[in-house]
Amino acid sequence: MRMAQRFSARWQGNPLLLGSLAFILIVTLGALLAPLLSPYAPGGFDEKRILENPGWDHWLGTDELGRDLLTRILYGARVSMVVGFGTALIALLIGTIYGSISGYAGGALDNLLMRIVDIFYGLPDLLIFILLSLLLGRNIAGILIALALVTWVRFARITRGQVLQAKELIYVDGAKAIGASHVRIILRHILPNILAPILVTLTFSVPAAILAESTLSFIGLGINDPYSAWGTSWGTLAQDGWRAMRTYPHIIFFPALAIFLTILAFNFLGNGLRDILDPKAR
Amino acid sequence: MVFLTKRGAFRHALLLSSLLILASCNPFSRGRDEKTFRVNIGTEPPSLDWSLATDHVSFNVIANLMVGLTEFDKNLKPAPVIAKSWDILEGGRKVVFHLRDDVTWSDGQKVRAQDFEYSWKRLLNPKTASEYAYILFDIVNAEEFHEGKVTDEGLVGVKAIDDWTLEVRLKHPTSYFLSITTFEVTYPQRQDIIEKLGSKWTEPDHIVTNGPFLLSSWKHENEIQLRANPNFFLGKPAVEQVEMVMINEKTTALGLYEQGQLDFLDNHSIPTLEKPRLAKAPGFRHVPQLRGYYYGFATDRKPFDDTRVRKAFSMAIDRSVFPKILHGGELPATSWIPPGMLAHNPKIGPLYNPPEARRLLREAGYPDGKDFPRVTLAYNTDEEHKIVAEAIQSMWKRNLGVLVRLENQEWKVYLKKLQSDPPHIFRLGWGADYPDPDNFMKLFTALSGNNNTRWKNSRYDHLLELAAREMNEQRRIRLYNEAQRILCEADAPIVPLFTTAETTVLNPRYTGLEYSSMGRLVLRHVRLKESIQSPPPAARGRDKSA
Repeated sequence: MRMAQRFSARWQGNPLLLGSLAFILIVTLGALLAPLLSPYAPGGFDEKRILENPGWDHWLGTDELGRDLLTRILYGARVSMVVGFGTALIALLIGTIYGSISGYAGGALDNLLMRIVDIFYGLPDLLIFILLSLLLGRNIAGILIALALVTWVRFARITRGQVLQAKELIYVDGAKAIGASHVRIILRHILPNILAPILVTLTFSVPAAILAESTLSFIGLGINDPYSAWGTSWGTLAQDGWRAMRTYPHIIFFPALAIFLTILAFNFLGNGLRDILDPKAR
Repeated sequence: MVFLTKRGAFRHALLLSSLLILASCNPFSRGRDEKTFRVNIGTEPPSLDWSLATDHVSFNVIANLMVGLTEFDKNLKPAPVIAKSWDILEGGRKVVFHLRDDVTWSDGQKVRAQDFEYSWKRLLNPKTASEYAYILFDIVNAEEFHEGKVTDEGLVGVKAIDDWTLEVRLKHPTSYFLSITTFEVTYPQRQDIIEKLGSKWTEPDHIVTNGPFLLSSWKHENEIQLRANPNFFLGKPAVEQVEMVMINEKTTALGLYEQGQLDFLDNHSIPTLEKPRLAKAPGFRHVPQLRGYYYGFATDRKPFDDTRVRKAFSMAIDRSVFPKILHGGELPATSWIPPGMLAHNPKIGPLYNPPEARRLLREAGYPDGKDFPRVTLAYNTDEEHKIVAEAIQSMWKRNLGVLVRLENQEWKVYLKKLQSDPPHIFRLGWGADYPDPDNFMKLFTALSGNNNTRWKNSRYDHLLELAAREMNEQRRIRLYNEAQRILCEADAPIVPLFTTAETTVLNPRYTGLEYSSMGRLVLRHVRLKESIQSPPPAARGRDKSA
């Protein structure tokens, strides 16, 4: 009980953490409820309202085809959120299993598995994103897989390091002594005790994936389908806007601001969680 | 504080000197001199051999290095250049060109009729593998020689009678033949130079040219430098030097222009959405081009094998929006032959008519777009093509209830896909090689290698054959009118959308630049305005820093 109280007090004593969480919730709700929140269609072309500045009818202005920018950003948030969380979760699953096996087995197998991780680390991320997204197609699934295949190594390393430490602890010896299976030891005894650093890594992986997706979109390899439920990703919106930066700055400013604030919020959330979950790191 | 330590000072001196070295490597950090005119050509020209060049960038460099028999005048009629006159004999089956005797190559030798004979036969020679060989197929035995059916090049109907007389024999009267002689691929070449140097003959140390400028240097993927030819037979150009830089990114090129580091920009260097702002700048203009922009249908694939569906899609496009969204002076078009060309007829083609479009689609079995198959609209990656595609996607959704899927690919990949497996709807454009409707209309004949619609209509092909041989202008126009009605109304394998214009902006300190409706940048008359005596403030600043 006292521990829960301390936990809650730490949350309340960290306004940045609470603000970030609130912002992420707003963005997530905005993405989910986009069709209800906006009176405009994300692909609706309106030749009479091309390139309007922010105003009452269009709060964030319109783009080169007279489409409402706020609506496009709300729909675009779906891509960012799904890519961010999706990538992080897939990477978490692969990386944690891989890292646990490597750390727990030790010896030659650990050595082999970690050299594979080293190879993945050595590959240039952006090149891999580009090649994979070209191979897998420019759709949500393709981008998710491409990003996850690069991100999982981070989880693998963290997990392996934590498992190496945890497996030497006395409660693991105890579990071994009573004949618990390896799987049970990893799942029931080690993983719950190393969850904090993995959770923090997860929180930092979400903005990294959002940024990577935005980068891919910015170089023209992102998701662009104004009529699909996914809309057009923020990176693609920014890419559309940057060439007109000096004449119509609003077309790049708002999508870029959305990317910036979301990434900042996730980073603050990650920092805050680390502070709460790992008091030694403070 | 770090500056105060010895090590810190050294480190910063090192950094500063590295920056200075880097800055001195940057071609734009050099001081400007008034006799150099700088343009951006965007990319490396693939070839400066005019028998092998096929693209706009290469031709724009070649057009300033070379001249040929004729060039087109303001009315797009061939006017004399090296040919001082010509005779059309035997009812149009024989053309004899009389050449000037005062035109010299850059090595001092005279340009002779034999140089044309060599160049034309080289273009046709299958060993040269020129993509433009077909342009001369109206000449006797030209096609046969190109296909290897005739091996003796003496049988090809082009011959230098003497140094200053070139005789061309044609298979049949060809109304547009003189127009072809304006095209760069027909410019003369030096047999001795090419045979001696092989593919290296176009390098600056070897190339021999006859035009207003000489090739001084060619730093691949970076910059081409030209210098004025003092012996050019029509007079030395006013600017001493031309620098053609290769900046791929439009925003960067525009920034350099606005800093005074470039003197001229065209569509390849101006971002679409910056055009409204630039329109207020001095030296800005739209130059209408003989270049059509169209969507083609894969007519052998469902549902576009049904003429009613194709017509419905064509009628559901409001073409008047294109100049508003592209800001480039585009001219909406429903017919294919562009304005400024013989037989242009704006009355041909489907008008914007959503109710009629819906009726046609209903008749074809898709009321309000219901049960319409999933179709893809493809375009090559480019900001303008994307804007057009998204606008049309929206119009079809609104007017027909059909949502097409958009797909874009890089140009080379895209072209391959068009040849092997054309998408349901695809974007393409066509720029005139020579200013005659034959060049535009032949694109969609059954045998055309560029007809990606796979549409065939024997009546259409026959009309084009007749029009090519018809020497009477009015009768030609009537034939092309009928052919255009088949192409744009009756069968509608394509949807003409608009005729493009080139947006150009010229440093207001200069005058005399000509940008032709064929997309050629002609620099030989460029000069500083007389009223300008002293360098501009920006240029003075750079001179000091350089």
